Amino acid sequence: MNQTVTVNISGIVFHIEVDAYEELKKYLNKIKSYFKNSEGCDEIMTDIEARIAELFSEKITSDNQVINSNDVEEVVGIMGKPEQYLDEDEEEQQQKEQNSSNQKRKPYRTAKKLFRDPDERMIGGVASGIAAYFGINPIWVRLGFALTVSFGFVTYFILWAIIPEAKTASDKLQMKGDDVNIDNIGKTFKDEATKISDDLKKNGQQYGKKAESILEGFFSFLLQIFNGIFKVLGKVFGVLFIIVGTFWLVGLVGMLIGSETIFSITSDGIFSIESSDFFNLIFVSENQFHMAMVGIMLAVGIPIITLLYAGVRLLFKIKTHYSIGLGLFIFWIIGVAMCGMIGIRMATELTQDESVNDVEVISDEIDDFYISANTDENPGEGILEDRYSIISLDEDSIYINDIKLNIYKSKTDSMELKVIKSSSGKSRKDATNNAKMISYGYAINDSSIFLNNFLATIKENKIRGQQVRMKLYLPVGKSIYLDRSLKRILYGIENVTNTWDYDMLEEKWVMLEDGLTCLDCDDIDGVTTSELDSIRLYEPIIEEE
Amino acid sequence: MYCNLICNASMKIENTKAQMRKGVLEYCILSILKSGEAYPSEIIEKLKAGKLIVVEGTLYPLLTRLKNAGLLSYRWEESKSGPPRKYYQLTKIGEEFLKELETTWDDLVKAVKLTRKAK
Repeated sequence: MNQTVTVNISGIVFHIEVDAYEELKKYLNKIKSYFKNSEGCDEIMTDIEARIAELFSEKITSDNQVINSNDVEEVVGIMGKPEQYLDEDEEEQQQKEQNSSNQKRKPYRTAKKLFRDPDERMIGGVASGIAAYFGINPIWVRLGFALTVSFGFVTYFILWAIIPEAKTASDKLQMKGDDVNIDNIGKTFKDEATKISDDLKKNGQQYGKKAESILEGFFSFLLQIFNGIFKVLGKVFGVLFIIVGTFWLVGLVGMLIGSETIFSITSDGIFSIESSDFFNLIFVSENQFHMAMVGIMLAVGIPIITLLYAGVRLLFKIKTHYSIGLGLFIFWIIGVAMCGMIGIRMATELTQDESVNDVEVISDEIDDFYISANTDENPGEGILEDRYSIISLDEDSIYINDIKLNIYKSKTDSMELKVIKSSSGKSRKDATNNAKMISYGYAINDSSIFLNNFLATIKENKIRGQQVRMKLYLPVGKSIYLDRSLKRILYGIENVTNTWDYDMLEEKWVMLEDGLTCLDCDDIDGVTTSELDSIRLYEPIIEEE
Repeated sequence: MYCNLICNASMKIENTKAQMRKGVLEYCILSILKSGEAYPSEIIEKLKAGKLIVVEGTLYPLLTRLKNAGLLSYRWEESKSGPPRKYYQLTKIGEEFLKELETTWDDLVKAVKLTRKAK
């Protein structure tokens, strides 16, 4: 028992067994793709189908109503497979190529095209196809891919996707290009000759005379040279595009998937990021993180792939479909939109800034203070470093070096240290909460003040622009020595001599009515120690009055 | 005729034969139609008898090309055993073209005979 289907061939209905039907369909498709580029393809197909219908009609008798695969095979045998009438069509195709390319073709050589070679393949036939294109042994191309490991790996799959497979006989011939042999030379010569005689007939005798002129010959020679230069330039750019594109692609994939440091421009850290940890600390949820990953992959990856693709197109003549470009464009738009959405979400995470203050009142019995800071490196592993701040990470905490100290004149006679912890958040409450979660260590011990150079917060709080700002209020008459360790912490301290923060280090500064003044600085006009003593004696008297 | 890797000698001979056959195929089709109109199957019968073609599929693109070149025209006729058939016939241009081909052919045959004798 066999299942049958009903088909309509040239207006006649046939019952045909399923496998026979498949066979017939395959055969017709093959012919169709063979004649695809010929003039009058539809007409040829209709004629062939009509003949097949006629042949089938002869098979149908009152005893046998169904077409089986034997019948199909027989008909295919009568009609012949496309390979069997290749020779008739080859000439026609060549003529067409000649007409369209108008003599630009190199003489005695048919145009080569890049295909994947399914006959010689190890994986996808990419290497063997490239080898066939250049007429070399595939082993060298494979060696090239193998030697460049991951680099070659990525390139291989991109090329696999882009280069079409050589499916038909004519593809395979084009893949290798015709050999230069007597037959081909003779054939091409004949074609050229008939073409030239046609041209002569069309354009009359005058054209013939013109064509022979020396000037014409000279210009066509120049044209050929320019053509050559442009072709070479195209290939150079093609190679360049492929190399650069592949580097970028590997970099992008490494950045998004790997956990290695992605950027590390200088050792003292202009900018260096450890990827996955860092992303985890920025994004609110796992989903947001993945979405950002895909978004970046599309938005950045597609232009890179386009570059690679352009390189391949410059190097090899390959057939492409406009839908590839359209598809890439659509995906790129999607990627950009995803990045935009994440960006907006992130922005809302940081809309509000809030701070919390601690005020420490320091003993007013001491006159001379000493202030210094921790110079140890951040605990944990550094994930981001730039000129101004360092962010590091251990198992459960984030450490951020965003600490600044400024010194003001106290309005009272007591010395105060005001510690302002601030942070961003999506709401005021959220921001305040983030600020409260900052832990920052400092110590005040009699005359010495010790500051930490980093703040800490637990990982769950994420990186939300946490910072600590300190204001030291120094009463008139009291002095403070700024230790060298404050180098990164001092920020825009006003003083009477307009001395830069960095130059204020390792000096003793005293607060006078005018502002901070250096006592021991050689090149600065300051008050002497004896003058200071008189000021100290004098001031309490004023207070008492 | 094509060969997959390197054409060997016998393939080359086949190729030359195919080229020769191809050259006279159009001439033969026109000659067949000289005596009156015919539909593809009839033309195929005659060509097969002369061993000029092996498979029928070869004929259809040729007919289409000749028709598009204005050498042939056709009319439809109903068939008892299948779909309607195309009956091809020579146009005026076709007839003139055929005449030219006939002289060329005669010249060629003479030339071939001459060269053979000269040997």
